[in-house]
Amino acid sequence: MAKNLLNRILSRFVEIKPGEEVIASLLFLYLFLIMFPYYIIKPYRDAKYLIELTSARLPYAYLLTALFMGFFVHFYTKLQVRIQRRVLIISSVTFFALTCLLSRWLFDQELSWMPLAFWVWANTFIVVLVTQFWILVNDVFNPREVKRLIGFFGSGGLLGGILGGVLTGLLGRDMPDIVLIIASGLLILSIFVVNHIFIWHRKKSAPSDQVGHKHRETGEEQVKVGFIDCFNTVRKNYYLKLLAGVVTLTFIVSTFIDWQSKTVIDIRIERMDEKLEFFGYFHAALLVIPFLISILMSSNILKRYGIRVTLLLFPLVLLLCIFGIGYWPEVFVFALAIKAGDKSLSFSINQYVRELLYIPISPELKYKAKVFIDMFLNRFAKGIGALILLFLVYVYLPPENWQWDWRDKVQLVSIIGVIFIGAWLLLNIKVSKEYTNIVKQKLEMKWDRGDRVVAEKMDVDYTKLVFDTIESRNRSSVLYAMHLFDLIKQDKLTPEVKKLISYKADERKVSSLGGLFESGEITLVPEMDDMLSEEVLDKEVKEIMSLDVYQEVMKGYIDKVLVDKTDDTETSKMELAKAIGLMESHSPLAQKLEELLEDESPEVSKYAIESAARLKRREHVPALIYKLHNPLTREDACTALEKYGERIVGTLSDYLRDYDEDFGLRREVASVLARIPIQDSADFLAWELAEDDGDMDPELIDALDRIRSRKPDIQVQEEVIKTKIFKEIKKYYQILIKFYDQKSKAKKPKISEKLSENLAASMMNVFKLLGLIYPHEDIFRAYQNIRTGTKDSVDYAVELLDNILPKQIRDIVFPLIEELHLEERVKRCRTLLKTFPKV
Amino acid sequence: MEINTREKTDVIIFDIEGEIRRSDITDVTLHQLVKDQLDAGKRNILLNFQNVDFIDSFGVGEILASYISTHNLGGKLKIAKISKKLYLVFQVTMLTKVLEIFDAEEVALESFFKDQ
Repeated sequence: MAKNLLNRILSRFVEIKPGEEVIASLLFLYLFLIMFPYYIIKPYRDAKYLIELTSARLPYAYLLTALFMGFFVHFYTKLQVRIQRRVLIISSVTFFALTCLLSRWLFDQELSWMPLAFWVWANTFIVVLVTQFWILVNDVFNPREVKRLIGFFGSGGLLGGILGGVLTGLLGRDMPDIVLIIASGLLILSIFVVNHIFIWHRKKSAPSDQVGHKHRETGEEQVKVGFIDCFNTVRKNYYLKLLAGVVTLTFIVSTFIDWQSKTVIDIRIERMDEKLEFFGYFHAALLVIPFLISILMSSNILKRYGIRVTLLLFPLVLLLCIFGIGYWPEVFVFALAIKAGDKSLSFSINQYVRELLYIPISPELKYKAKVFIDMFLNRFAKGIGALILLFLVYVYLPPENWQWDWRDKVQLVSIIGVIFIGAWLLLNIKVSKEYTNIVKQKLEMKWDRGDRVVAEKMDVDYTKLVFDTIESRNRSSVLYAMHLFDLIKQDKLTPEVKKLISYKADERKVSSLGGLFESGEITLVPEMDDMLSEEVLDKEVKEIMSLDVYQEVMKGYIDKVLVDKTDDTETSKMELAKAIGLMESHSPLAQKLEELLEDESPEVSKYAIESAARLKRREHVPALIYKLHNPLTREDACTALEKYGERIVGTLSDYLRDYDEDFGLRREVASVLARIPIQDSADFLAWELAEDDGDMDPELIDALDRIRSRKPDIQVQEEVIKTKIFKEIKKYYQILIKFYDQKSKAKKPKISEKLSENLAASMMNVFKLLGLIYPHEDIFRAYQNIRTGTKDSVDYAVELLDNILPKQIRDIVFPLIEELHLEERVKRCRTLLKTFPKV
Repeated sequence: MEINTREKTDVIIFDIEGEIRRSDITDVTLHQLVKDQLDAGKRNILLNFQNVDFIDSFGVGEILASYISTHNLGGKLKIAKISKKLYLVFQVTMLTKVLEIFDAEEVALESFFKDQ
């Protein structure tokens, strides 16, 4: 497939798909043009503040920022209700570009409050523009796409940050006053990029678009809400509350770290120009690490370890760093290392994971949550961090007490930091679990197993009884009476059934069931229930049948009927077979059932099978199993054997494992075992699956799948199933390669068709096997969406599997299901076959 | 019983004639015929009951087994042109809760498209 030049260039750095290259480049550039000026502004902000107000007053800056953000977000949410998304973003960038120039002039006026005001302004700048950027990314892409591209977008921001930092470092000593003018110019450039993004997105959101994207309704049509609504959205949603908790803890810890590092730096570096130069280079250097992580590792880490492990990485690194600075506060390198650890991971992996966590949420919720969490809560958390710092620094270790110097304060903050990181780790674990649930909710269950639907919605035995009753009316009054007796015993002889079974099709035509029941003309069913109650009738029949004299008389009659080999006796044998089922299990006449079971007539067999199921005598089991051979008696035999329940599981497994037995029979035995969903059945089936040479795999896998769908808590031997998964996937790869070869030769379409069917069957087996050792419902849900879903639901299904399958399995399953061109899929399969795990 | 198979707009239609009874089965069962179509990758099955006079419990078992096999593969099995008497029995026995039944073949065929 021909790829364009931009795609070819970008493909070297990122896994990009055709159609994505323009929008991905624009988003890369947009973030670049936000972070470039910010990393000019940030060193300027830090240097000015530390020189004029000192690090001791930093907590005030954190606190004031938090308070201001509260008011600002309230104002911003009102604003965004009234203004279109596109206008809002462009206006925001313009506002920050102009106020940046204004700040430059205000600093010249040497106003004492300016460093504090500039600190607050710079924080507002980054919060607003970065939040707007990620909302835009969320609108355009779905989770799988973002997972692939997030490192690329992020590296645009990091590259901008590095260049901004380096530029400030270069100009800081000689021309400090010019930097804010450059920042302003860069922001104006970003306006053009934003405009292009909206133009592109509008074009691509047309219904005819083939490159599916998640939320076509983005941009002007987005839901817009107020601050209180945003707050309530988070408050009422468990997952969002967890996310808010994680963000709060992240920013509290980040505030501690910022204060610790700046306290050490403030003491070590004294002059304004030195500070500006240092912060310029330092911030640039801080971004080199996350830039490299973004480009080289972010997507790989996420793909390899998934969200769950990646989420823990950031707090664990910080835990080590905060412990280091607490233990060696005088070591300057630790002050740099802790800040480096915080920033490098927070701008790379942590940022990406956090953005991914938002993606499965509905667009409406997401927008509200992001406004509240990313714009308000993170600054509010910094305010909480500032209050804790103020308490620790000014109240717990007061400055007037000569015993406490800055080292003690740094150590104390470390101890408190460790506690907060512990809580943060726990919340991260909870969030990752909930994330999987949210992804699951995105996937519609498209169908349930057919046998489950039938079992839930109707009573098959009763249905068959009604049909048999109707059918027996013209055949034998004895059979008819016995069927009625069955219906009465089961309390199923309702007036509707009574009228229905006595209705003759050719007597009159009815237009509806109601009309039939209202006719009042039907008198063919004897009014038995008026004469005798169910219990009395049942008792009387049993008493009669257990009389010795009855047994003796009937024995003679049965022998006579059984000896007669003419066709005329079929109905009599059916009556006999039915009657034996009404007798006690230990009745001597029950032994005669064996001969009736072996009768050539499927009609006689059917009644004999039903009676065997009622009596549940062990000696009938072999005959019932052999009835599985015949398609005419198979279903009845299956039902009968199922009614025997767990006590015949061992016997069934003997047949299953007997390789001298007929293959078809063994296959049916597997299906009977599937109807008895107990651990033993699963064990025997898995055992056979391990031993079998593969011929019976589809039946055994289906039987196990049926058991797991009914009883998900039943365990299947993991090693056996894993081995089969490897074998089945290998088989799939091989069929796919054959299919590709056939297709590329454009010959023998019938063979291609057959191979295509084999691929579908193999894929289904892979998923059934996965469902045996991983959460069955989740796997089933993922399979259905992969097979029949839209591009987005396929992506969510893959995302769900990404979170529930171990890496070893993911690596070989994903080439089957990820959206790839046939050529590329085959290429991957060939590569994987070379290193395929030996089984 | 006689079963003829035809295909219309990606739906396999089985025209069944006679009675679906245990005693009437010759070589292959309805379920086997449905399974053959499923194996061939077909997922939409319509049973045309226009010429079906009656079914016994074996017939019910065949229909339900066919329904389960189709459903397990994400397919659909529907019935068209069932006689009024048979429909009444289906209603009373709640088969109508599971099986989709249509008066006319065209309506049934349209319903397959709506499902997609």
